Amino acid sequence: MFSETWVYLAHASEIKEPNSFVARKMGQRSVIVTRDKENKIHALLNRCTHRGATVCREKKGDKTPFFTCPYHGWTFRNTGECAAIPHQDAYGEGLDKQQFNLKKVPFVSEYRGFIFATLNPEKGRKGIKEHLKSAAGRLDEWIDHNGGDHRAIRISGAQQYTVHANWKCLYDNAGDGYHPEFSHQSLLKMTQERYGSGMDLDYFSGGIDSTPMYSQSLGNGHSFLDQRPCMYENSAFERQRPQPGREAIVEQLTKEVGEQKAKAYFEMATGAGMNLNIFPNLLFIGNQMQVITPLSVGLSDMTWYSTTVDNVPTVVNTLRIRTQEDFTAFGEPDDTANFEACFKGMQEREIDWIDISRHLGRAEDSTDDSGVVTSVISSDIHMRTYYEEWKKLMQSNDASRLG
Amino acid sequence: MVDTKNSAGHQDSTYLNEAYYDQLMHLNEDWQLDGPVPAINQPSLADKLACEALVFAEARLADDLRLEQWLDCYSDKSIYWIPANYPAGDPRQEITLEFHDKRRLEDRVARIRTGVAYSMLPVIRTRHVLGNIEYWQGETNEVRARTSFIIDALFNEKHRTLSGWIGYSFVKNDGDWKISVKQVNLIDADCLQENNTFFL
Repeated sequence: MFSETWVYLAHASEIKEPNSFVARKMGQRSVIVTRDKENKIHALLNRCTHRGATVCREKKGDKTPFFTCPYHGWTFRNTGECAAIPHQDAYGEGLDKQQFNLKKVPFVSEYRGFIFATLNPEKGRKGIKEHLKSAAGRLDEWIDHNGGDHRAIRISGAQQYTVHANWKCLYDNAGDGYHPEFSHQSLLKMTQERYGSGMDLDYFSGGIDSTPMYSQSLGNGHSFLDQRPCMYENSAFERQRPQPGREAIVEQLTKEVGEQKAKAYFEMATGAGMNLNIFPNLLFIGNQMQVITPLSVGLSDMTWYSTTVDNVPTVVNTLRIRTQEDFTAFGEPDDTANFEACFKGMQEREIDWIDISRHLGRAEDSTDDSGVVTSVISSDIHMRTYYEEWKKLMQSNDASRLG
Repeated sequence: MVDTKNSAGHQDSTYLNEAYYDQLMHLNEDWQLDGPVPAINQPSLADKLACEALVFAEARLADDLRLEQWLDCYSDKSIYWIPANYPAGDPRQEITLEFHDKRRLEDRVARIRTGVAYSMLPVIRTRHVLGNIEYWQGETNEVRARTSFIIDALFNEKHRTLSGWIGYSFVKNDGDWKISVKQVNLIDADCLQENNTFFL
């Protein structure tokens, strides 16, 4: 399925310089995402065309115009072109080296710094914007929360986890506004006990469907949960459980830039209040990006990329990073335990079905001109919308994609 | 002893400022020992024994889930740090797996104590084994140490092993040695992690 649609690969800031690269997964395929000397971005299958060995064995690097396979020394440009075959004369005269170019993912495209790729020519020709549909506008809002175009986003490391569950168990959760009150009880209870009410996610307790928060199906399997009406009702920063070093940063920044400007920075350092799910593998959660990669049927890679921004006082980024460490330590582990428990339950042979009918057919759900459906925050609309897309892709699967 | 807890009852965290981060980066270098610790840099035998007792007690209390006593091994101005890179970089510029001041460390314990921390149901049993411990005298009245570790963890009836090295800095508060910084360097810090919601 990961060959049938646009898949997120990397952020442009990770390969900022010409001749830099990162090694990534596109579904289960190993790819090298490169920026060539002309600033063009390529996604190369990391498999030597000679004997199949892994050509690049580093996770990232720069000043790398060529990759040399360690086995027999075949060398490729970072455009994929086969540059040298040692002792080539043994293959006879007139050997066309081009037939040994590294296979490339044919469609690679960037949307405001986010690099996507697809093997599917039909989707590829229509372009990334057509695929993102209404998710593009939401991604713009997320970028705007982080300072817009004049404050470029960069990746500041990652927290990587294995989840013993099918990748869809993770994706199921990404737009689930129903679970926080229950799955995150430890976080909510601890926060209430130590810091009182009105903190962090406590707006998820009680009658959540009568809050102004909402969920949306954005088309093509993408979805959106908007926590901002509650989280940003007054100040998201004031709601945040205190991050390490918060007091020192507040004091320093207020002194440096004044109270008003400092407050704007603090809100920016707090999570964006959006859960934007770009099917099938890119989830925006707070100020982080979660990328899901299937490793096998029952094993997934869940990587949380940290983001910081250019052109702000350095303590703003320190505060962002300390904030981003919060949910992965206090919230996500309980979710992960539940994903793994779900996957275990789904192996029971006698029971085929799970339920995703919450708010199905809700009369008040509205659809706008671009096809975006809006429902209440605890609706299962996210799961219904993405499984529809998943089913479509699974049925169109063409195993001979690369040719 | 001065009570540094604020009116809400949790640890005051004003200490984690730029100077403290700078000191962490200094420690990051200091833990990279060249050869054997020279005799002149050895702490006194009494201090060394006290710090060794502290290191072993801290590991044992974490394993025995006596988390309130475990917290007590840390000074009021402490940092518990698990980098997400190997070697560790500057925590002001890159995300860590965990980076807690005393207040957030108390939050971590309180989360487990709620009884509804599902990542710890069933509870994860651990055993730390510490070895190759080297102690030396820091610039101020601190003692520093570095050790290799192996943690065997049991969750859902499956064992797994974590390993790496730990850098410590100890301070003496009112006659008692406490941990002021503990940096846990997992050898797979930049690789996929499992459920590490116990204390490393």
